[in-house]
Amino acid sequence: MATSDLPTVTDETFPKRTNKTYALVELMHGEGPMVGKGPDGTVFSFPVVLLIEIILVLGVTLAVFLFSLLKQAPLEAIANPLVTIDPAKAPWYFVGLQELLEHMHPTLAGVLIPTALITFLVLLPYIDRSRANVGIWFSTPRGKRIVLWTAVYSMIAMSAYILLDNAFSLREILRYIVPEWIAQGLVPAAIIALIVAIPAFILWRRKASTRELMIALFTIMLFSALVFTLSGFFLRGPGFKMYLPWQMPNGYNPLDGL
Amino acid sequence: MSVQTRSRWAPLTESRVWRSFFRHGMPDNPLDRSLVMTSNIFLHLHPVKVNRRSLKWSYSFGLGVISAILFGVLIFTGVLLMFYYVPSVERAYPALLDIQLSIPLGQFTRNMHRWSAHLMVLAVILHMVRVFYTGAYKFPREFNWLVGIGLLLLTLGASFTGYLLPWDQLSYWAITVGTSIAGYVPLVGATAKSLLLGGPEVGQDALIRFYTLHVAVLPLLMMLAVSIHIWRVRKDGGLAINDSGVTTEDKPADAAQPGEPSA
Repeated sequence: MATSDLPTVTDETFPKRTNKTYALVELMHGEGPMVGKGPDGTVFSFPVVLLIEIILVLGVTLAVFLFSLLKQAPLEAIANPLVTIDPAKAPWYFVGLQELLEHMHPTLAGVLIPTALITFLVLLPYIDRSRANVGIWFSTPRGKRIVLWTAVYSMIAMSAYILLDNAFSLREILRYIVPEWIAQGLVPAAIIALIVAIPAFILWRRKASTRELMIALFTIMLFSALVFTLSGFFLRGPGFKMYLPWQMPNGYNPLDGL
Repeated sequence: MSVQTRSRWAPLTESRVWRSFFRHGMPDNPLDRSLVMTSNIFLHLHPVKVNRRSLKWSYSFGLGVISAILFGVLIFTGVLLMFYYVPSVERAYPALLDIQLSIPLGQFTRNMHRWSAHLMVLAVILHMVRVFYTGAYKFPREFNWLVGIGLLLLTLGASFTGYLLPWDQLSYWAITVGTSIAGYVPLVGATAKSLLLGGPEVGQDALIRFYTLHVAVLPLLMMLAVSIHIWRVRKDGGLAINDSGVTTEDKPADAAQPGEPSA
């Protein structure tokens, strides 16, 4: 309490000569129910949250409403099992899987990798059991840097894998030399595993926490899925062959298939 | 107004019919004002007070609420489409033409259904990404993370089964490609595929199965899962904001301490 500029009061309240045997020496950080919380930072749900939700309902509905006025849902000719369309693509959220199928054995691309990813997501909260930094984006500044670097890395590595495998396919070269399960299964699996393992190994050497390792793995998964989806959606034309989006033959426009 | 004063609404609010609807009288006295709060559904879903930080837009981007809203839009437009759609190989495509060409607002309703569906898949994925990067899957929210994974898969399933219903070339071949992936699963793949399609290829049996999954099975499962999901959000203490005070456990030395008071 700085009350020295009020001498009359100070002299009475805080006498200069006193027999007190205690003093304020230092302020300590402590662990208590209200430590670090400051004043109660809450607001009433009613009406604050209600208003936010009403605004969201109106905003989202209006956005879909306006877009629906501008863009029509596609409808092509009636289904005909005798006439294949070219390219035949899965819905956009599965087109990454379809792209993956171009590069490896179907059991690996269609079953083992998706199962591994779902298993990773399911086990995630039981592997990363730390309770620190909940509710903070990327946990720490270091976590943010890990996201940035692994995102850039996976986009470059996976794009390179897709393009290289498309240009000179190792699997095709190996096709008549080794059995199919090696050329189509083991080799691509090893390449993908290596791409994932490199940043994980670097982080492990730098004594990363489990959370940081999970951040790296999740980011690799997310941005690899993004690359494969974009490639399958925009770069694949007739025959599911690779073209630049603006050089698609036969007037094929990937956006027509949404 | 004192509590003892009999409200002029009393003849209405004390009637048995009113009391069967509402567990409180007119909110013109402190008791009924608090009863209005504690006995209403909004405050069943939400706590009375929420932390400011959990409302910050740049924290959650409202993605969970947006997914739920889109689910609502999809149910509304989907039910409207159901009045005209017939899940038969002969009649599905003509029904689509009818909806688009002769039914008032048919094309518009279909547009809203389709774009909301795409947007919902995107919103659900982004919601999961947000929850992951903010560490919101950690204790005590592990179970709700699992429910969320279930909801992501149900959303993909709902979108995928709806994809076949227009019965045009696009939907037919997309489902043919999509279900052929299921056929690659060792041992059970062929069985799973024929269970889904009701036969060796996409035909009438597949259409009726996809339709039933799309309009009944998956939406019901999703409603159940969404109820559990929202209920658990409240049970687990609302949105995961950093109010535990734990910020240092496995933090590297170079990390700053945002929000920590300095004295």
